[in-house]
Amino acid sequence: MAQVEEMMFATEAQVDEYNDQIPEIATEKYLIFSSDSLMYGIKAELVKDIITGYSITYLPQVPGYVKGVINLRGQIIPIVDIRLRLGKMPQDNFCSIVVEVEGNMVGIVVDMVEQMVDIPLDDILPVPTNSGGSHAMVSGMCTLPDGNTMLELDCEQLLHD
Amino acid sequence: MGSGNDSILDMYLYETNTLLEQLDGILLTAEEADTFSEDSVNEIFRIMHTIKGSSAMMEFSSLMTVAHRIEDMFFIVREKGMDVVPEATRPDLFDMLFQAVDFFRGEIEKVENDEPLSQSIDHIVNKINSLIDKIQGNPAHAEAEAPAAGESAGGEAAAADVSAVNPDYLFGIHVFFDEGSGMENLRAFMLTNSVKDYCGDFITSPANVETDPSTSDIIADQGFLVWFRTADERNNAITAVQNGSSVREYQPVDAAKPAPPAPAEAPTAPAAAPAKEAPKADASPAPAAKPAAGGQQHAKESLISVNLSKLDQLMAVVSEIVITESMVTSSPDLKGLRLDNFTKSARDLRKLTDDLQDVSMSLRMVPVSGTFQKMNRIVRDMSKKLGKKAKLTLIGEDTEVDKTIVDAISDPIMHIVRNSMDHGLEEHEADRIAAGKDPVGEVILSARHTGSEVIIEIKDDGQGVDTQAVLNKAIRQGLAIPDHEYSQKEILNFLMMPGFSTNTEVTEYSGRGVGMDVVKKNVADVGGTVTITSEWGQGMTTTLKIPLTMAIMDGMEVSVGDSIFTIPINTIQSSLKVTAGDVIHDPAQGEMVKIRDNFYPIIRAKDLFCMDQGCDNIEDGILMWVEAGEHSYCLFVDKLMGEQQIVVKPMPNYINNFGVKNYGISGCSILGDGSISIILDVVNVYAAAHSAY
Repeated sequence: MAQVEEMMFATEAQVDEYNDQIPEIATEKYLIFSSDSLMYGIKAELVKDIITGYSITYLPQVPGYVKGVINLRGQIIPIVDIRLRLGKMPQDNFCSIVVEVEGNMVGIVVDMVEQMVDIPLDDILPVPTNSGGSHAMVSGMCTLPDGNTMLELDCEQLLHD
Repeated sequence: MGSGNDSILDMYLYETNTLLEQLDGILLTAEEADTFSEDSVNEIFRIMHTIKGSSAMMEFSSLMTVAHRIEDMFFIVREKGMDVVPEATRPDLFDMLFQAVDFFRGEIEKVENDEPLSQSIDHIVNKINSLIDKIQGNPAHAEAEAPAAGESAGGEAAAADVSAVNPDYLFGIHVFFDEGSGMENLRAFMLTNSVKDYCGDFITSPANVETDPSTSDIIADQGFLVWFRTADERNNAITAVQNGSSVREYQPVDAAKPAPPAPAEAPTAPAAAPAKEAPKADASPAPAAKPAAGGQQHAKESLISVNLSKLDQLMAVVSEIVITESMVTSSPDLKGLRLDNFTKSARDLRKLTDDLQDVSMSLRMVPVSGTFQKMNRIVRDMSKKLGKKAKLTLIGEDTEVDKTIVDAISDPIMHIVRNSMDHGLEEHEADRIAAGKDPVGEVILSARHTGSEVIIEIKDDGQGVDTQAVLNKAIRQGLAIPDHEYSQKEILNFLMMPGFSTNTEVTEYSGRGVGMDVVKKNVADVGGTVTITSEWGQGMTTTLKIPLTMAIMDGMEVSVGDSIFTIPINTIQSSLKVTAGDVIHDPAQGEMVKIRDNFYPIIRAKDLFCMDQGCDNIEDGILMWVEAGEHSYCLFVDKLMGEQQIVVKPMPNYINNFGVKNYGISGCSILGDGSISIILDVVNVYAAAHSAY
């Protein structure tokens, strides 16, 4: 909770900076979620919804990580399990972040949604090029105020191979 | 170009296209009658006037000029009635008008494609001009008569008075000042002053412009007339008028009395007289046109044009409401409760949502008449070009179908009509007479509803299909196997195979190799089918069967394990239970079943879709005997859940990227309880199963 307040304070400070016309630090809101004990972040502007408890309709002839489709208020939305997508063992829960990428709405199954944070864009560091397969689909890294490391999820890459 | 401009352009294109279509219709009717009714003259005048105005606004000058000229011509016709056009020139008139419509269409197309407009409009303008000359025959004479005849036409009445009162002053100039310039009487006075420099002997109408300010309104309204004794004097004065300030338009007019020296008149202002005449209608449409135009306006105001995507959106929302409503009223939370008021309200709600659905569906429905009317033109043009007499009969023009379907079938219908004209009808009239038919060929275009389908028939009474020739050609093309016996139906089906065209000659209209196969494809795209029937010597009938709307269809829900699939009802032949003994195995592990003396393969949905759950024992499940295209087979599923009308939703793009369509998954739909069913495409299921085995 303390962190959240800290973040809010930071936001207000930024608002003041806007008002004072001082060149501000460009920040971006990220939604942090955990999957297999790693923290991932998705740009908040991509996030359309966070849903739980929908029944997934199985679809044949799609890769295993596509768990199927759901009916989200009349829209048919495919569900991708990020654990399976990254080649990990699936967990039997259903909490999904619905993101819109390149005009496609896709639900991403995650372990748990953590929080929203403002992250200065400058703080997002590139992924070391020699890092292994586990960092696939990560487009950047950043240390969070609580000391954890956030991996920025590359949603485009998640959808395309 | 900004988006604001784009929307104006959109409006312009839409409006102009609509007007052109209307014009085409009027012209066709008129040509048949070989005359224009008063209404259609007014209508054409109005259309040209609108096109002129809007084109000028959009700065499409070529369009404007041509429209202007035609407007001029019809102004004359309107003033003097259709009799002014000599019988002999009427075909020319119609041809010219059709040409003009084509010209407009061509230009509009260029505008749509962002291409530069053609600058060489002289050809068409000259044609119009020469027609105007012909119509006028004696232009000067005609012009003067116009005002005299138009007694009700305000300004001209005044002119008539003047010429009557002063038979010596017969050569007039009709001057119009800039609209809204104000103090027209003083401007007129200034004009008379400058005219005095050239010639002193003239009278004006209204007369006392200098002293009477009330004449200002008259001049603004009806123009200012200056009358001279001789044409030469007037020609001199024209220079003055030309240089006059605020002069918007002027035109020489001649009073009736002595046969005026028309030839002398013509060169000074070639065709300018009628040209200048028309803009007057700009300021004050002649009373004759007013009631008609007014009536039109009134009828139009009850119509609005709506972007199709908005209707799609509405349709989507309404389908959601229908689904949500049934989710609410059949909510499991309500089980076991006795809620009289709730039940009553729920019933009312259901009725209203049903109505809402009907209305929103009907919004997308448009009559096929627009498409049908276009065929009139094609038949007309082709019958002229090919020298075949033919008439087109339209039946059931007001049959309504979904807008997307109308768009999709327009080209196929056009193609079939062309085919009928080109290949269907006999080459020579004598052949028809010899066959005991009416020398004038007939193409019948009909549309009608049957439940959930619309049936469009294109029928000609021509020579019909020579099945032997078709078969020979098919064999030559390698489409058919020689020495194999084909049924009439099978032979006719060759016509719809890609690359098949019986006419070896390529004509302007057909025979480009793309043919009926494209028709078939276009129709199939909207879920329809094409069938051809023909009898040698009796003509040919092409029937398009198209579902009324693609968004909603009847489907049979079947289950496999937990999954629900929808099979389009029109592909289902029957459902049947079989025992293990009925199943025949082939060496390749394939299963078959015998139904009515034929063997059909069995495809197990569970295996095809690699599903965990579902029946394996053939006796526990049920076979759905389906047929689509050339394929007929039995799909083995667990259970039959019942027939339902479903709203078809496409699969998300992300899913389609995995190629699920190839496995027969064409879309999905949301069922009453909110769950999703997968819509199967019977043909692709077969193809998928075939490649899997």
